[in-house]
Amino acid sequence: MTGKERVDRMFRREEQDSVPRCDTWWDETVLRWRTEGFAGDLPLFVGNDFHPLSWSDPRPFVGRQETVAEDGATRTYLDEWGNTVRYWKCRSGTPEHVAFGCRTREDWETTYKPKLLESWPFVKPAASFEDFAVGRRNGRWTYLCGLETFEMTRRQVGDETFLMALIEDPEWAVDMSQTMSDLVLRDFELLLETGMEPDGVWIYGDMAYRGGPMCSPSMYRELVWPDHHRMAQWAHDHGLPFIFHTDGNVNSLVPDYIAAGFDCLQPLEAKAGMDVRLLAPAVGDRLALFGNIDVMTMATNDRDLIEEEVVSKLRAGMKGAGYVYHSDHSVPPSVTWDTYKFILDLVDCHGNYGT
Amino acid sequence: MNPLESLTDAVVRGDRREAVRLTSEQIDGGSPPKEILAALVAGMDTVGDRFQRNEAFVPEMLIAARAMTESMAVLEPLLAAQGIRPEHTAVIGTVQGDLHDIGKNLVAMMWRGAHFNVVDLGTNVAAEDFVNAAKDHGADIIGLSALLTTTMPAMRQTVQSIREAGLHAKVIVGGAPITAEFADSIGADAFAPDAATGVDIARKLVSA
Repeated sequence: MTGKERVDRMFRREEQDSVPRCDTWWDETVLRWRTEGFAGDLPLFVGNDFHPLSWSDPRPFVGRQETVAEDGATRTYLDEWGNTVRYWKCRSGTPEHVAFGCRTREDWETTYKPKLLESWPFVKPAASFEDFAVGRRNGRWTYLCGLETFEMTRRQVGDETFLMALIEDPEWAVDMSQTMSDLVLRDFELLLETGMEPDGVWIYGDMAYRGGPMCSPSMYRELVWPDHHRMAQWAHDHGLPFIFHTDGNVNSLVPDYIAAGFDCLQPLEAKAGMDVRLLAPAVGDRLALFGNIDVMTMATNDRDLIEEEVVSKLRAGMKGAGYVYHSDHSVPPSVTWDTYKFILDLVDCHGNYGT
Repeated sequence: MNPLESLTDAVVRGDRREAVRLTSEQIDGGSPPKEILAALVAGMDTVGDRFQRNEAFVPEMLIAARAMTESMAVLEPLLAAQGIRPEHTAVIGTVQGDLHDIGKNLVAMMWRGAHFNVVDLGTNVAAEDFVNAAKDHGADIIGLSALLTTTMPAMRQTVQSIREAGLHAKVIVGGAPITAEFADSIGADAFAPDAATGVDIARKLVSA
């Protein structure tokens, strides 16, 4: 069975030869594993079934990267969103936002929104089309990929400004959400015009932390959900299933996700209280579950604990045939290569439907 | 609702203009600054309680903290003139290797809202910088934040440096990958699962 067949069957809740797989790792993790005997292509070794075709990420100043300060470890520059950000030079991780360029509704309306609209498109259709051919050739499940409201506004104005706007200036918050969501969908339309036939859509946006969603469920429902629904609807209108990525505890939002038309939720952060063993019996028939293998348990390198974690979650997820193996975030460098191979062996052994 | 209760209510609603107006009105009317301060702190406490009960979320907390901050800017000179200073000092930062700050910022806001003197060291803070700042400011509390699993070892190292320096400050740790078990294992005094709980814990530790 190819990766495409496996994932397609998973979405139809038909048994597969084995659970589909995908995973992510920190750069430092891969470096460690290379010192512990791993050589080669990690996604290939894992048996990754997924293949991204694009990254739609609306930004007003495409290509801008003007260094404003530099020290031994970090570089600070003016980025494509008009923000001043500091990055590690030799380490993975997300940037520190030193200052946001777009701070007010006036900044947005006079500078940033017009620049965003001018800067479209944000994808490269010809390259994506070639990528699609590669994905097909390798039998992988190909997907259009982009960002959603929380993630796009995080990059454009920052969490604090967006979250306060949700209360104090909801009209502005909605305008940002709609404008950027429109641009992502316009990117996707452009990609389909090349003639590619992707297998699904995967949208990224961290909208929760360990304690719960970044805003109340009712505020989400009223102000952001309509754009999430619109994105999922676009996917369905093109016959494509819709995967949604968010970190954090989103248990309280699961009914809204299902109502929005999300077909799959990833990566189900275990330390935030997401648990496939509870979600699968409750919503597994309507929402496929992707991930949830606790990286903190992996990091114990304790085989008994890890076996319990992996096997119990595989069993729960596979009961309805709607589960994909993935860590609940990115595998950290505290996980040894031997441990990781052990995890993959467990997936080989217990992730098999026996068909 | 009396005027001080109205001030508390303005902070709870995050109505910064009303909070500043009422603060000025109370000052002009001769209310004791300590009572005005107590009304502001009560507002932040209410928001913190609601946050812990999932009745308020990060946006509500942010606008309340801003109302508090702007009101404090008006009140602070009067407090200083009367020698009313925060009783406790907290040093806070994100540990070395980590550039994330929203969680740390929320805790700092809530601590300020509880009238702690907060020294925010920012992100990517080396262990020795925590130690030096805690010494320089006579910190009662040191708050360590980490968002990445990859920076948890730096948190352990920082706690170790604080212990080796023999500081009396209590160490509170928090952040996405941090658990109570991890906090115990590295010798921290407490784990704060969220910003509002961070206030309760800090108060408990300084009054112990």
